[in-house]
Amino acid sequence: MGKKRRGPTLEEVLGRPWCYYCERDFDDLKILISHQKAKHFKCERCGRRLNTAGGLSVHMSQVHKEQLTAVDNALPNRSSLDVEIFGMEGVPEDIIQAHNQRVATQFQQAEAERQAVTGNPPPGTSATGGQPAKKPKLESVSDLKKRLAEHKAKMAEARAGGSSGEATPVGAGQTPTIGGYAATSTAPPPATTPSQFSYPQPYGAAAAAASPFQQPPQQTASPVYPTFSPGGQANAQYAAPPTTFSPQPFSTGVPGQPPYGATPPTYPTQQSPPQTHTPPQLGGAFPPRPVGLPAAPGLPQRPAVGAPQVNAYQMQQMHMGHTVPPTTGMNGADKASGAAAESTGFSGSVDDLISGAAKQAEAATATPPTTTTTTAGKPAEGEDQKPKKDKSKARLVYSDNETSPEEKMARLSRYAYVPDQRGETVLEELPSAVVVGAIRESDTVVDATD
Amino acid sequence: MASNQFVVASPPTDAISALKFSPSLDSTRIVVSSWDKNVYLYDLRDENGAVGEGKLLQKFEHRAPVLDVCFGATEDEIYTAGLDWDVRKIDVASSTQTVLSTHEAGVRSVVYSKDHNLVISASWDCTLHVHLTNDPATLPAVIPLPSKPFSMSLTATKLVVAMASRALHIYDLKALALLTAQSEGTAPGSLNKVEVEPWQRRESSLKFMTRCVACMPDDAGYASSSIEGRVAVEWFDPSAESQARKYAFKCHRQTADDVDIVYPVNTLAFHPVHGTFASGGGDGVVALWDGMAKRRIRQYQKLPSSVAAVDFSANGKYLAIAISPGFEDGKEDVAEGTVKIFVRELGETEAKGKGAK
Repeated sequence: MGKKRRGPTLEEVLGRPWCYYCERDFDDLKILISHQKAKHFKCERCGRRLNTAGGLSVHMSQVHKEQLTAVDNALPNRSSLDVEIFGMEGVPEDIIQAHNQRVATQFQQAEAERQAVTGNPPPGTSATGGQPAKKPKLESVSDLKKRLAEHKAKMAEARAGGSSGEATPVGAGQTPTIGGYAATSTAPPPATTPSQFSYPQPYGAAAAAASPFQQPPQQTASPVYPTFSPGGQANAQYAAPPTTFSPQPFSTGVPGQPPYGATPPTYPTQQSPPQTHTPPQLGGAFPPRPVGLPAAPGLPQRPAVGAPQVNAYQMQQMHMGHTVPPTTGMNGADKASGAAAESTGFSGSVDDLISGAAKQAEAATATPPTTTTTTAGKPAEGEDQKPKKDKSKARLVYSDNETSPEEKMARLSRYAYVPDQRGETVLEELPSAVVVGAIRESDTVVDATD
Repeated sequence: MASNQFVVASPPTDAISALKFSPSLDSTRIVVSSWDKNVYLYDLRDENGAVGEGKLLQKFEHRAPVLDVCFGATEDEIYTAGLDWDVRKIDVASSTQTVLSTHEAGVRSVVYSKDHNLVISASWDCTLHVHLTNDPATLPAVIPLPSKPFSMSLTATKLVVAMASRALHIYDLKALALLTAQSEGTAPGSLNKVEVEPWQRRESSLKFMTRCVACMPDDAGYASSSIEGRVAVEWFDPSAESQARKYAFKCHRQTADDVDIVYPVNTLAFHPVHGTFASGGGDGVVALWDGMAKRRIRQYQKLPSSVAAVDFSANGKYLAIAISPGFEDGKEDVAEGTVKIFVRELGETEAKGKGAK
């Protein structure tokens, strides 16, 4: 669909980790950290790589008895040891801002030059996706309706042509179709039973909570009642909602299988005609990357909206990935709407599928960041912990760091000495902290003699 | 093994606080101070001159446990430091004791400088007393310390005092002698207090309480040990190059069930000839180290209780090891245990360093 993206966007460039000491930027944090270890925190004496400048300083003073004064290979104004840097952590805010400023201006310059040379519009506006990709996005509702109508007409024609070739295993044929519908037509069901359900509910309720009646119609509808498509026109407005759920979960979704198997008997005769339509639907219905889109509640409005909360980069991705879904969505929706709502057989499965999809999508988006953060965090933690462990494992046989063993022994009663010839005055002068034991003992001795 | 190591007969009845060989080159006399309030003088040679388990020559009773002892100018002169706050001189021939000075707390250590005829004692009252032995009439100079002293050692020219709070002072003996001589003349009875700036103030290179210091026989530096199984070797020379040479290492540790049991390093002694040194730890182990090559030369078999003191004979042929039950955590009392003195006859190269790596 869209053209290949030409270069990184400003956000990407700004998001790149960079080295505080030499202002070099890197593809990811790990590389930055290994760069810092190799270039700035490496001991010139023994080649040991430390994690921070402070660590190197301690290493130098302890191991080599040298004083580290400046960070190696650093820019002249960045060689201070005072700033504790690890990866991107510890970089002073003002320096981050200065860096961002610099990167941004550089980027803009480069961009301007490139535009001057190529004559291309800047990315983010329409450069990468190009105008054609942008257009469908801005299609008005009326346009959409028009197109839907056209499409339906086409469909009808095709059906009239009547290639009812695949009357074979329904389950097999259905799985993909369902996928297609699930992806595109989740919104419409309410349309078929408008009185029963308000729009947001199915989505808000998410798969698990959704009542069995909500989804089944859309799913079964398209394959089963293709003939009702005209009725779907009323729902055209709902058609646009782009896919909220990725197609993959449906194809892989195990829980979905039994219901499918169960459905065929319900509509044995009706199923053959719809099969013909599945191929076209499939083509359009499988958007390559549905995940990036905003969550379900926004769906009804989507077709008309330019998705304001989406930034340019996301927009591009959507353009590239999802230019088609809106249109195909109409197909699905249209069919779904046309569908008579009885078959409840799918409900459970669809719920499962949707929730599964949602979870997977969540997992997919959630895991990468966590893993990266943990890996980034680990080296520091690990090295911190090691020495600690050693310490905790060591047990000092004599751990009183204030009082020497001899002093303790001296306090034992059997070693106590009474300075007899000195008299009470001296006793009073006794530094009590030092010979407590002796004092105590002297008391007892006095008692004894008395 | 057994042939060149023997146990000295009639050891003290309680824990040993110090053990010193006679400074006379071929003497085999040992003086030992003990918590049983006695100072013991042994000679390892029997009547025939054969070195063996030796015999107890004399026993000098004190009023309180004796914490340190050293020989004076000759074998007939012994100085002691005790819990009775006194610094004493014992004349062996006449068995007479003279109190040189009295501190205000127990006296932890006493050293004698042959080159400057000084007896210096360190007490838990945070003072040093400096006595001129060639002029017994002079009052000792009292030098205040910032913390309680734990150990003292001297070379021909320097005195190293290790104190609590990881403080360490190095004094110039000549200056001390001079000051003590000059301060003479103050009214008798009053304390002859002398504020003297140490030649160097240092912080211990070890993080834990200093247990022992011992100076190198070549006057170049010293080794110190801590309660946390570690020994540091440092040099006097304040130049950056010399200071860069200082180092510390772990020792006297045992690993049991993944737990590192860390023993205090109670005692250090330099070999007078080779310049290597011995360390004795709470684990009952004595190890010989080459401080220059930073290598361990050998480690002797574990002894039945904590090593309290080690010393080399003046000619470097013998190593005496005193063991007595240590005062360790969880033990409120010192257990009745083995108090023994081992003497090891060292082979020609037994204590010699292997040379630099």
